[in-house]
Amino acid sequence: MTNLAQLFFDAASLGGLYAMAALGIALIFGVMNLVNFAHGEYIAFCVFALIVPSTDAVAVMLLGRAPALLLVPLVLSLGAAIAIASEYAVFRHLRRADPVAMMISSFALGFVIRNALLAIYGGRPKAISLWPELNTPVAIVGADVPLLQLIVILTTLLVVAGLAGLLKKTRLGLEMRAAAENFTMARLLGVKANVVITGAFALSGALAAAVALIMATQTGVADVRMGGQIMLVAFIATVIGGLGSLPGAVAAGFLIGAASVLLQAFLPLDARPFRDAFLYSLVIVCLLVRPQGLFVPASAKPRV
Amino acid sequence: MSKLGVFDISVRYGKVPAITDLTFHLEEGERVFIAGPNGAGKSSLLNAICGRVPTTHGRIEMDGDLLTGRAPEAIARLGLSMVPEGREIFGSLTVEENLRVGTGIRRDAEAVETDIEEIFAAFPILGERRRAAAGALSGGQQQMLAIGRALMTNPKLMMVDEPSLGLAPKIVDQVYDTLVALQEERGLTLLIVEQSSLRAARVGGRMVLMRGGRIVGEGNAADMADRDALAQAYFGNTQPEAEEVA
Repeated sequence: MTNLAQLFFDAASLGGLYAMAALGIALIFGVMNLVNFAHGEYIAFCVFALIVPSTDAVAVMLLGRAPALLLVPLVLSLGAAIAIASEYAVFRHLRRADPVAMMISSFALGFVIRNALLAIYGGRPKAISLWPELNTPVAIVGADVPLLQLIVILTTLLVVAGLAGLLKKTRLGLEMRAAAENFTMARLLGVKANVVITGAFALSGALAAAVALIMATQTGVADVRMGGQIMLVAFIATVIGGLGSLPGAVAAGFLIGAASVLLQAFLPLDARPFRDAFLYSLVIVCLLVRPQGLFVPASAKPRV
Repeated sequence: MSKLGVFDISVRYGKVPAITDLTFHLEEGERVFIAGPNGAGKSSLLNAICGRVPTTHGRIEMDGDLLTGRAPEAIARLGLSMVPEGREIFGSLTVEENLRVGTGIRRDAEAVETDIEEIFAAFPILGERRRAAAGALSGGQQQMLAIGRALMTNPKLMMVDEPSLGLAPKIVDQVYDTLVALQEERGLTLLIVEQSSLRAARVGGRMVLMRGGRIVGEGNAADMADRDALAQAYFGNTQPEAEEVA
């Protein structure tokens, strides 16, 4: 029983993290058919923004010293800012370009950000301590759950609910949903492309920042490569969920998180080091059975 | 000054010309049908006017404002609205949300609400299904929704691409009745692509005949319906061939 509760919290918090990262990718894909591979680097950027620029092994907090009430909005805006800046500097000039060209540009942008971080902070992972008290376990339904896991689960639910509310209830949300389905038609009805795309990038960047804060607290490490791994999982989640489907991205994020935790728990000991091989086999099975994704938007049709 | 002025425009897709040196005008409050065979450039003309495809030369003006080179959303904000071929409704949005997408350019929030009710009055089936996903509507209902959606931007000039495509004749009648009623009520200028010259003749208005990316004839729709120009536009100048068919 204890074990099951523990597993549940592990799965839900890891899934929540993946879901938020996947949402960040799905949002942008929805409005401009771009798979933004620089998303992982936004996450790394936000983590490094917490500390003083230096190549020392021990990190000194910079933004990280601010009280949480100030720090959270600050880092979220920073994430939004770098996403908007990259749209303005790179993707705006590629609006009419082939999706493949845009994707490759996003790789290039990712390398630029990553190497800038390497140049400033050095390549060694740094120990950072952001809100260490959140890692103290709390006893809940017989399981010892770090407070942070509960916060992650709660945050994910809040983010998903907030985003759903924004998309359903606001003018920008309506325009973003319309644009995600048929961008040209939305523009023909007077929807401003720049507003919608900038809005999507801002939200996506803020989501990256939320992921960054959680990862920094959870792992206690600032590593230039930390965005890459989660970006990969998040991208897979958006594909499994059905590219362009926001509910699909969330559901698939949770699904991958859960599968990953369950495999870790129930695989025979000898096979555990190869957990990811099993995980990605499941992904392949998923794609073989439903190549269009598990949750395809009702509107899905080839766009011209 | 005419409502819409198209001056000597050309449109090409890669090397393939779709429209060649086309000039035409639309007067305030007028109803104009564009007819012609497939590939005549009818849709390309509409798409060029609304900013969806670029022109390679020439210019397009509405009320004296230059449309050429403007983004589609900027053109929409000047008062031009479009019901595209294939309707292109937002299937995952509700019926009412579809109607609201285009209202972002308006500043008269109260009038928006009355306009929505007016559209539901004109197309009661849309009112009944206002909270349903638009993708679940039938073809005819989607056509009505596309027209309603275009009207919600409060346009001065509305372009409708093949409203009769794929619809039962009875539904087409209903769609045209509503279009004409709305035009008279709001003083709209209408530009309609319509394959059927008989249909155009029955609704009434001016008719422009296109073929091979050019205008090849023009006149009152009722007179044009049974003219040689029409047969020529469809079958070319090869008279013997037409006789063979007969």
